[in-house]
This record gives sequence, structure tokens and C-alpha cells, in this order.
Amino acid sequence: MIWLTWRQFRTPAIAAATALALIGGFLLWLGADLRSFYDAAVTGCTTECTDAAYRTLLTNEYGTKILLAGLLVMAAPGFVGALWGAPLIAREIETGTHRLAWTQSVTRRRWLTAKTAVVGGAALVFTAALAGLLTWAAAPYDDLVDDRFTALVFSARNLAPLGYAVLAFAIGLTAGLLARRTLVAVTATMIAFLAVQLAAATLLRPHYQEPVTEDMTLAEAEAAGDIDSFNVGEDGATLQGLRLPGAWVVSDYMDVTDASGDPITSDTIADCDPGGPPGECMSQFGAHFDVTYHPADRYWTFQWIELAGALALAAVLLALAYWRLPRGVN
Amino acid sequence: MDTPVITTTALTKRYGSHPALTDATLDLPAGRIVGLVGPNGAGKSTLLALAAGLIRPTSGTIEVLGNRPAADAAQLARVGFVAQDTPVYTQLTVADHLTLGEKLNPRWDRRTAADRIRQIGLDPAKKAGRLSGGQKAQLALTLAAAKRPDLLIFDEPVAALDPLARRAFLQSLMEFVADLDVAVVLSSHLIADVERVCDHLVILAESRVQVAGDIDDLTADHYRVVGPRGTLDTLPAGVEPIAADHTPRQSTLIVHNTTGRPLDLPGAETIGLEDMVLTYLHRAEGLGTPILQETRS
Repeated sequence: MIWLTWRQFRTPAIAAATALALIGGFLLWLGADLRSFYDAAVTGCTTECTDAAYRTLLTNEYGTKILLAGLLVMAAPGFVGALWGAPLIAREIETGTHRLAWTQSVTRRRWLTAKTAVVGGAALVFTAALAGLLTWAAAPYDDLVDDRFTALVFSARNLAPLGYAVLAFAIGLTAGLLARRTLVAVTATMIAFLAVQLAAATLLRPHYQEPVTEDMTLAEAEAAGDIDSFNVGEDGATLQGLRLPGAWVVSDYMDVTDASGDPITSDTIADCDPGGPPGECMSQFGAHFDVTYHPADRYWTFQWIELAGALALAAVLLALAYWRLPRGVN
Repeated sequence: MDTPVITTTALTKRYGSHPALTDATLDLPAGRIVGLVGPNGAGKSTLLALAAGLIRPTSGTIEVLGNRPAADAAQLARVGFVAQDTPVYTQLTVADHLTLGEKLNPRWDRRTAADRIRQIGLDPAKKAGRLSGGQKAQLALTLAAAKRPDLLIFDEPVAALDPLARRAFLQSLMEFVADLDVAVVLSSHLIADVERVCDHLVILAESRVQVAGDIDDLTADHYRVVGPRGTLDTLPAGVEPIAADHTPRQSTLIVHNTTGRPLDLPGAETIGLEDMVLTYLHRAEGLGTPILQETRS
């Protein structure tokens, strides 16, 4: 059965190996180039040697490349699941060859096991290779930018892509079994996989653990991280886009109040020196706010949860296929 | 080979509300070439797919060689199946198909397979997608036969073939049967093919089994009876009318004599296989007696 699986899978495997060589080559180049740039700009820094300056420098130089590589690593399992997983059963049914394959002296469960092991295994290796290379290539950048919870980074590094590789293959396989038509199954797999990734990033991941809510003064926030924007109006002050290093800030907008909990309005700050730094002015009032976030040390816990969740869902889908296939597909 | 090759009890398969096979109770004996005839959509493919274990019944039971179809690898090894339109992997070569057969079947007969491929003149390096319909059918037949099954099932093996290829295929099939000591069940909507190859017959129409039996018995037990109007209104017990046609002066009946004794009716004469099949098919569709004179064999 391994022989037949490999014989049928040979052409896609060669295509995938070629793609892997090309993309892998690019990632290796990216990693090497990034490191030599890092050595010149950071290790050998002579002027403006601050983390913020390094961040700007590396983001300008490599931000887009790494973002695109990340998107590729996120999409790879979807493509592999759709192009390898979905036709696995659907194409056999479409061409009628399932009546040849399933009347040899091999049970359909064993047929499915061989297909899953070889093709599913290849899908996992393919994504793992890409994700591993990107994780390595982007490591100095990721360390410096320290924003590993961002969806486009979190899903494209370390363990998360491995779970998605297995899940996308399982989605494709099951979609092919249920739809019985290759084109329908391929489309359904792409859509379903995209939906799963969006749902995981927006609906599920923020709740893997109860986020921490902390009272923080504006001065502390400015010392610890970056603030995108801070607005003072007639009704009060709000803070937007707080970034804490390595952490995942869940709150988007935060109401800023003074030390006694009253809103800070444009009237409140009228006395401040208009030319002085805003933080100094705010500190006079003891400006503070509540921020809800996941601390940086939860990163690996979240990675493992993401992996386990994807594997569990894949196991359910594969179990469905194992249950359904021996019962006949017509 | 004493166990019947296929035994079914009230076997039913429905797709949604559409019945594909209804209430089929059959005992297909060992050591025969069984022909399944009926129009397209009569349930032939459904019955054979159930026997091959490709689908499962909605209700009722089916046993093939004493076991549940496709129950395990051993059961699969005992049944060879050549599906309708004889599917092969278009991207794989003829030689690949033989390797496939060898890798997936413990009882694979490499010598038979190689001899057959040589005999029918197939180029082993040729991709199966570039074979003609007749060559594809021969390849599929070779795969199924070299598996050395106890039962070979063919679903409309020759339907898509031209007359020459059809003749060659049936010739190959009969050679295999003679060489391999294998039971055969094949379906066809061409009565002539069945008559040429088979010795046991099952007539299927409108998803139901109309009649089943050895062809010699069936042809010996079906009669046309002609008599003056009114004289044939009551028939002896065990003599069942299949079709009746009345003119003001006389009645013509096609009857099935199930008594096991010669039919004792004046004006009764046996009818040919094709007439008998047509009579059952017309009855199943709710039509009257077919015009038999033109089709008599």
C-alpha cells in the first residue's frame, strides 16, 4: 500500500520539494542577510544605540519581507491540505478508481492509514520545514521587536504551524470524502482552513487563559512599552494601542483617569505647559488606567494550546473519515 | 465450493427515497457463471457493489462466499471486482498496475498476469490513460483475475466496448474461468452476451428481482399458451402467468411453470431466453405482453 501511495504521490511530492527548495533558499538567505545586517547595525552600533532605534531600523529593512514570509507559512498548510488532502479520496471517486483501489486485498482502513501516513506526513514535513526555517531566519528580528503574540507572527512560528499542517490535511481529507468532488473539496478546504485560522486568532486565542488586568500609571506604561496614541477631549482621555514588550495587550481603548478616578478632560490639562512633554503633564495628575493583557511568559503555553487544539480537531475529523469510509461512499 | 457464492435476504438499498434495490432475496449457486440482466438503472450495479462491499445495504443482509462483503483483507482477497467502465489509473503505466496488483494482493499470480499482458499485446510501459477501451477492460480483467479470487464480479464489463473488443473480452473471460476454477457473476443489459457466457440467470427490473434460476431450467419452464378466450382464466396450481394478451376470440399467456413437472396444457410451447427476459421486463414496467414473434430465438 505504501508503494501505491508513493507512486500516486510522486509527482506532487517532486513539485513540493522544488517549492520547498526555492522558498527554503529564500528563507536561508533572509536569515543570513538579517544576521549580517544585525551585526553591523546593532552589535557594531556607534550612534543612537537604543532598542527603539534598532527596531525602526530592522522594521524598515526587513519588516515587509518577514511579514510576507509569515503569511506564506500561514497559508502553506491550507494549500497543502487543499491540494493533497482534498483530492485523496475525492479524485478516486471522481475517476471511479476507488472501485479498483478498494477491491484489492487491502481494507479501506488500511488504505486510509497508508494515505494519511505518507501524504499527511509529507504535509507536516513541508510546513514544519518552512516554519522552522522562518522561525530561525526571523529570530533576531523577533527578539528585538518582541511582539510574538501578533496573529501573523504567532501562527507562523514554532509549534502553531505544525498543528495547522495536520489540521488542514484532515480538513481536506474529510471534505473530499464528504463532497466527493475534487474542485468542491479543494475550495471548501481553503475556506474552512481560513475560517479556522481567523476564528483561532480572534475568538479563541484571547481566551486560552484568563487575561491579567492591571492598574498602570501612564508613567509606568511609557517606561515599560510604547503608546500609539493618547487623546484628551472634553469628556475625558483615552489611550490607544499600548504595546508592552513580549506581552499580548487585549484592551484596545483604555480610559485614562486621574489619581482620584475622575476623567481627565481638556480643561484639566489647560494649565500644563503646552510645549512640555505630555507624559510629564499627565504625571502631575497621577494619570492611570486599567490594562488587560497576557503576560509575555505565557507565549509557550499558548503555543502548546494552539498545537493541541489543532491536533484534537484534526483527530476528530480523521476519526469521522475512518468511521465513514468503510461504510461506502455512494 | 459448496457455499453459495452470494446469498441475500430482503436486501434493500435506497438513496434517499429512491430505491436502487428492493427486497432482493437470492441464492446464487457455486460453480456457475451467473448473469444479471436488466435495463439500465434496474439495480444491477447496486447489487454488485453491495457484493463487492463498496456500499452497505440500507436493510437486509448479504453474504458473499459465506462472509460479510469486504469484512477483512482475507475476504477482499477472495473476491475480484471489475467495475463498470473498467476504471484504471490514467497516470500509471500498465506495468505499474501489475505492481499494484502484486503489492496489494497476497495471492497474486505474477505469471498469469505477465502472460495475459503479453498475449493481448499491451505495452507495459504505456500509460493506462492512453489505452483503448478494450485494452483498459483487458487490463482490468487481468488485474482481477491474477488476484486469484474465488469469485469474479463483472459490472457491465462490455457495455462500452465495440463488438470486436466485446467478443475478445468475453473470450478472455471464458478462458480465465476455464483455467482458474472461479465462480463468476456478471451483469449486462445485453441478453445475447449473457446467453453466450452464463448458465445461471437473475432478471432485475425496477429495483426488484423478477426471477432467478439456471438458464436451462428457466427456458424449459416458461411457455407461451394460446387458447380460446376464457379457457385460460384458471391455471393449474404452481403455474404463474407472467403476461396475458387477450383478443375477443383468444388469449395468449406467458406462464412460468414452477411445479417441477412438465406443463400439461394444450397449445403450450416453450419460449426462448430473450422472449422470457423481455416478458419480465415488460411486466416490471407495467406494460402488457411484448410482441414476441419478432424476437423469438
